[in-house]
Amino acid sequence: MNGIVELQIWQFLSVYLLLFVVLGIFLKMKLNQTKKLLLSSVMMTIQLIAAGFVLTFIFERPHPAFTIIYLSAMLVFASYQVVSKNRKLNRKFKISIVLSLWSSGTLVLAMFVGVIVGVSIFNPQYTIPLGGMIIGNAMTGINLGMKTFTESIATQRNKLENLLNLGVDPKRILLPHVNQALETALMPTINSMMGMGIIFLPGMMTGQILSGTNPTTAILYQIAIMIAICSTVCLAVFGALIFGYRTLYNSRKQFVSFLQES
Amino acid sequence: MNIIETEALTYAGILHYPPLRIMEGAVTFLTGDSGSGKTTLLRLINATLSPEYGHIFYRGEDTRLSDPLELRRKVLLTGQSVFLFDTTIRDNFHMYYEYRDLPTPSDELIDRYLSLCMAPFALDSSCNTLSGGERQRVYLAIFLSFGADTLLLDEPTSALDRHLSDSVFSNIVSFAKNSGTTLVVVSHDTELVKKHAEFELNLTNEVRR
Repeated sequence: MNGIVELQIWQFLSVYLLLFVVLGIFLKMKLNQTKKLLLSSVMMTIQLIAAGFVLTFIFERPHPAFTIIYLSAMLVFASYQVVSKNRKLNRKFKISIVLSLWSSGTLVLAMFVGVIVGVSIFNPQYTIPLGGMIIGNAMTGINLGMKTFTESIATQRNKLENLLNLGVDPKRILLPHVNQALETALMPTINSMMGMGIIFLPGMMTGQILSGTNPTTAILYQIAIMIAICSTVCLAVFGALIFGYRTLYNSRKQFVSFLQES
Repeated sequence: MNIIETEALTYAGILHYPPLRIMEGAVTFLTGDSGSGKTTLLRLINATLSPEYGHIFYRGEDTRLSDPLELRRKVLLTGQSVFLFDTTIRDNFHMYYEYRDLPTPSDELIDRYLSLCMAPFALDSSCNTLSGGERQRVYLAIFLSFGADTLLLDEPTSALDRHLSDSVFSNIVSFAKNSGTTLVVVSHDTELVKKHAEFELNLTNEVRR
């Protein structure tokens, strides 16, 4: 096995030609997202260049503090994303979302790096990229789960109120909505596990194979990361909802508005 | 004897109710302009809302101190928005009863409540194909069948024409008289109020300050 072929800058830049093809189609079809396409390409380029510099810097000086700072920054950013998508939720619900994201993300990451890979959890080469994958997927999962939950509650308000009038415990009324959101949030991960290896070779495995890793090692990593992602998403969404849905009723078994009073 | 009494009841700083007395076993109508706090009063009585100040007594017991779920099962509120599950009439009874941890009533019993509410439809018919008025009657039949101590009915016949509205309501009244159920009804239908009200509490001008 050989190491990866280094990309030469001029050859690399030619990939942006493909972007011009996309841009051409957008303009021709008068799609509204042209600006967004340009913006996202520029942002991706700048963010990745910055990340490249930062990672190079950290790898040359592998101090635990850098790893912790990088990881915290990812968690803060992920929390901000999730909260900003659920701005209208009450405070306690938001807190339970953020806490579940942090605890499930760090727990599974620590287990992955410390036990499965078996290196120090402050080793930036493992903790940072694996943390990114785990936390990123947890964030997407929570977003999907919360969207499903809040939408199903908002559209079925009449049902909830009628069952409350009937003397049904609010917990019992809300739990089916919690279950539905949990299932929906886990579906993409479970589906991608189904197709893995046949329909597509997943990103992490592809990356490792390109850089010269033995495919057998690469698949072990891939299987481990998929299970890690699946469990993080499950824990994060479960935690967010199971602590969050209790904030939607009070001790008098009345629904309190799940939107923040303002 | 009074079954429901209220004292210095206020809600959210805008609704101030006079002391209200509701007689056991009677048919009491709450009337008044929209926004006069009729629906809110029903929800305060079944404790799905809490008053800002004041007390509600049900059979002499302060409802603040009673278990809210038990209270709601005794003082059953039939809301103004009909809700039926997207399934057959029989399954609707089944699902509502399951939420209450009760066995589904027999087909004969379901038929009896349906005909009481002038909804003599086949139990296997899907509720999705029923009209708004038909759905309201099925919904009433389900709530009536729980045999509550007091029924709070919020616009129970709003989707029915005058004739049907009168027949359904007459049946509900005779059912209530037979079973000793107290009825507290919110309705905009003046004919219905004129014909069936034993007591009328008009909330207009008294409540909103």
